[in-house]
Amino acid sequence: MLTTLDSVLDKCVSSPPNILATLQAVQAAFGYVALDSVPQIAAALGVTDSDVRGVLSFYHDLRTTKPGKHIIRFCLGDSCRATHCEKSLAALEKKLGCELGETSPNRRFTLEKVYCLGNCALSPNMMIGEEIYSRLMPKSVTAALENHA
Amino acid sequence: MRVYLPDDSAAISAGANRVAAAFAKQPGIEIVRTSSRGAFFLEPLVEVDTPAGRAGYPNVTPASVPGLLKKKPTPISKIPFLAKQTRFTFANAGVTEPLAIPGFAALEKARGMKPQQILDEVKKANLRGRGGAAFPAGIKWQTTADSSGRPKYIVANADEGDAGTYSDRMILEGDPYRLIEGMAIAGLAVGAQKGFVYLRSEYPAALKKLRAAIARATEFGILGRESFEIQIVLGAGAYICGEETALLESIEGKRGMVRYKPPFPAVEGLWQKPTVINNVITFATVPDIITRGADWHLSLGTATSKGTIPLQLAGQVKNAGLVEVPFGVTLEEVIYDFGGGMPAGCKFKAVQVGGPLGSIFPKKLLNTPICFDAFTKVGGILGHGGIVVYDDAMDMVALARHLMEFTAAESCGKCTPCRVGSTRAQEILEAILDGDGTPDDLALLNELGDTMKNGSLCALGGLAPMPVLTAIQYFGTEFRRRK
Repeated sequence: MLTTLDSVLDKCVSSPPNILATLQAVQAAFGYVALDSVPQIAAALGVTDSDVRGVLSFYHDLRTTKPGKHIIRFCLGDSCRATHCEKSLAALEKKLGCELGETSPNRRFTLEKVYCLGNCALSPNMMIGEEIYSRLMPKSVTAALENHA
Repeated sequence: MRVYLPDDSAAISAGANRVAAAFAKQPGIEIVRTSSRGAFFLEPLVEVDTPAGRAGYPNVTPASVPGLLKKKPTPISKIPFLAKQTRFTFANAGVTEPLAIPGFAALEKARGMKPQQILDEVKKANLRGRGGAAFPAGIKWQTTADSSGRPKYIVANADEGDAGTYSDRMILEGDPYRLIEGMAIAGLAVGAQKGFVYLRSEYPAALKKLRAAIARATEFGILGRESFEIQIVLGAGAYICGEETALLESIEGKRGMVRYKPPFPAVEGLWQKPTVINNVITFATVPDIITRGADWHLSLGTATSKGTIPLQLAGQVKNAGLVEVPFGVTLEEVIYDFGGGMPAGCKFKAVQVGGPLGSIFPKKLLNTPICFDAFTKVGGILGHGGIVVYDDAMDMVALARHLMEFTAAESCGKCTPCRVGSTRAQEILEAILDGDGTPDDLALLNELGDTMKNGSLCALGGLAPMPVLTAIQYFGTEFRRRK
């Protein structure tokens, strides 16, 4: 059965309303929060459109465009910088054909930056979906992509 | 034969699941998945029982599994990195199964104490907050206990955003009941029956473990509607939500904007109700204070920083991992005695302690003791205990620019010094990096830093200039020669 925005919002009604939790639920269902769904979300929660857009624009996790099939979170935290992650990032960008913040032309991957995955003893790191890849090297970083068809 | 293998996400990223799969193909092997000891440079670390205790095989690969157990393992007690540590908060790390129900001896003892006795014990122990601010937890707890608002809440700050830190993650994934126990004891002490764990979304493995631990603790009657309930609230990737008041706003579903203080959360916190908010490690330290007593805690550490601190070694260091030691050891001892110094081919250049807002220290400050006040004295912070070592290939101007870009991206925007100051500083550093700096730039950065330090509402804006200004102070030639 196709999930509808209404069915997601039905489960999010609370007093007082929780905008962030609602947007997280919408994103979990659809992969992103479409800007044209903001009025419907606001109406369901009894808040203004700008209340919703304010929260939507604040949190890095929340996206307003459809991402690729898999999300790569490439760590730019201090330990990954210290271990010169930029070389692996460059190799990854070249292979994907897109830069940080973009989706690959085949729409298989969206490449996002993250500040710290908490895996700093094994830097540099990235996460694809929920899987962490550590001790990244420019030569081997792209091999991880094969595990996510 | 039984083998122990960590089920920790860092160990898994090093190949622990692949090694487990290889063992599963061997006949007569029972695999027990434990937490990680935090000696991540040895992961995957496979352990076996011996008459003299656990012994391990470091850096195991699937290919090395057949025949591995015929070789002689190294006793864990003979691994210097682990043997030299003083483990209390991380006593179970690598030893127990994360979701096996423990004895909850501290909670049981606390249930037999009067609330004021618990408060007095935590106050006497001089437990200072481990999130970074080092504020005495007992004073927060007493303030909430004395506040008239109802209901009261307990909030665990598990938004471990400081780059270079992972001790909260290790507790959440490896010993979640220790956090649950600490929170429940806080609930008894202040009269709160509801707790929240604000967990960062970057830790999906921790979410699964904590969720399962809360469910099991409820099933076993440790948590419950009549005693103490815990709810997990998932963050959404905003660093500022590690600041306590922004965190509370975020639990309420709002933008994570920093609140003015006072009123302090202990008096008016979550939904304006009295709220104890502490870091994961702070709560995780409480059970030992209750079972062993405040005097035990006071017997460890320096004059003003009591107990142990889990330091997290990262960056360019040979033996990266978690080092729990009493306060007072020097930075040099941590990096060289525990960390083994620099990896082959790397030369030490600088160290940053306390996350992205921590000062950058040159070699000459390595004799600084790990102690909140000693760090303040030399113009730094201990923060959440993250230690990132940089080698001589690190460009200090690029590092300074990266750190200011971080602040500009993560500022909540409420106060002008932080919102505008971080962006202006980033622009100046970009110009220097591109060779377009002017002779006035460093003076301007100092002035801007001064405004941010003194004019910002919270520690993000107040501390963000520190790594940049200390980088200029100790590595000034790198900034000057770009012009």
